[in-house]
Amino acid sequence: MTGRLKLTGQLLALACVAGLLALLVWKLTHQEHAPRVGAVAPGFTLQRLGGPGTVSLSSYRGRPVVLNFWASWCNPCKGEAVVLQRDWTRYRSRGVVFLGVDYHDLAPDARRFIGAHELTFPMLEDGSGQVTGRYGIHQVPETYVLSRQGRVVAHLAGPITAPGFAADFRDALAKAAA
Amino acid sequence: MILRFAAVVVAALALAGPAAAACSHPRTSLTYLEGQVMCPTCHTTLDQSNSAAAQQIERFISQKIAACWTSERIESALVANYGPAILAAPPHKGFDLLAWWLPIVGVLAGALVLAFGVWRWSRRGGSEPEEPSDSGLDEETERRLDDLLARFD
Repeated sequence: MTGRLKLTGQLLALACVAGLLALLVWKLTHQEHAPRVGAVAPGFTLQRLGGPGTVSLSSYRGRPVVLNFWASWCNPCKGEAVVLQRDWTRYRSRGVVFLGVDYHDLAPDARRFIGAHELTFPMLEDGSGQVTGRYGIHQVPETYVLSRQGRVVAHLAGPITAPGFAADFRDALAKAAA
Repeated sequence: MILRFAAVVVAALALAGPAAAACSHPRTSLTYLEGQVMCPTCHTTLDQSNSAAAQQIERFISQKIAACWTSERIESALVANYGPAILAAPPHKGFDLLAWWLPIVGVLAGALVLAFGVWRWSRRGGSEPEEPSDSGLDEETERRLDDLLARFD
């Protein structure tokens, strides 16, 4: 009787250890990383910010996409917004799509931000951060430039107005729009 | 001077009275909610964070407290905006109940295992068999050995 109890206890302990190991392996293999240049950008469908309906990234396949992650509480995003709006008006005639993804933000504050900066390109809300997580976003602003095939042409982890990024952004836009 | 002071007190009471009376329930506090709500960018509670995102949520909470919102209503609004992960503790319903019950079940199971172990150990201790003789020989061999040794005495 005691032998069987001992064996059951040992099997239970083993099962617990195996379960914990499985959890560790699952966590390690499911960590989210930023998609690399050349990789296909993760697809998503998000609610429009300040408007009805949703927007899917896949619906823009065949057109270059500038995917900008921002938040109203982010100071560098303010300076960047002006440049993004200017580039959007410049490149939209060439078929380039600009999408803003609002990250971990309160919707009313985000709407005020859009109004204050007179941004007219489509804005999507990702309050829970699910999509931004798949893009490996840990700070804002960050911008991805995607090719017509939905592949990453450039990933700029910082404001596109930064000295190092301004030229990279223009080059990536030209490359994606070509 | 006294009249002036009295006028200030009356004015303050006149202003504060309606504001305090506007809430039909006890007001929740920012300090309480700061411990219940997470900062979405730094993954700590608001009271542990000084990030811009945390400050934005604190401003939102302060506004809603001033507008007499209950803590439950404020938390619901935050969940609607950020998702359930904005709360420091999981809700007491559905699958999330596991997070509340599993630790209790674990502690109880541990206590049971411990109690069983102690019970078995105490039982074994009570009916411990007598120690065998130091030589480890049976009685017959021991007797013959004694006889043999007696010849040399």
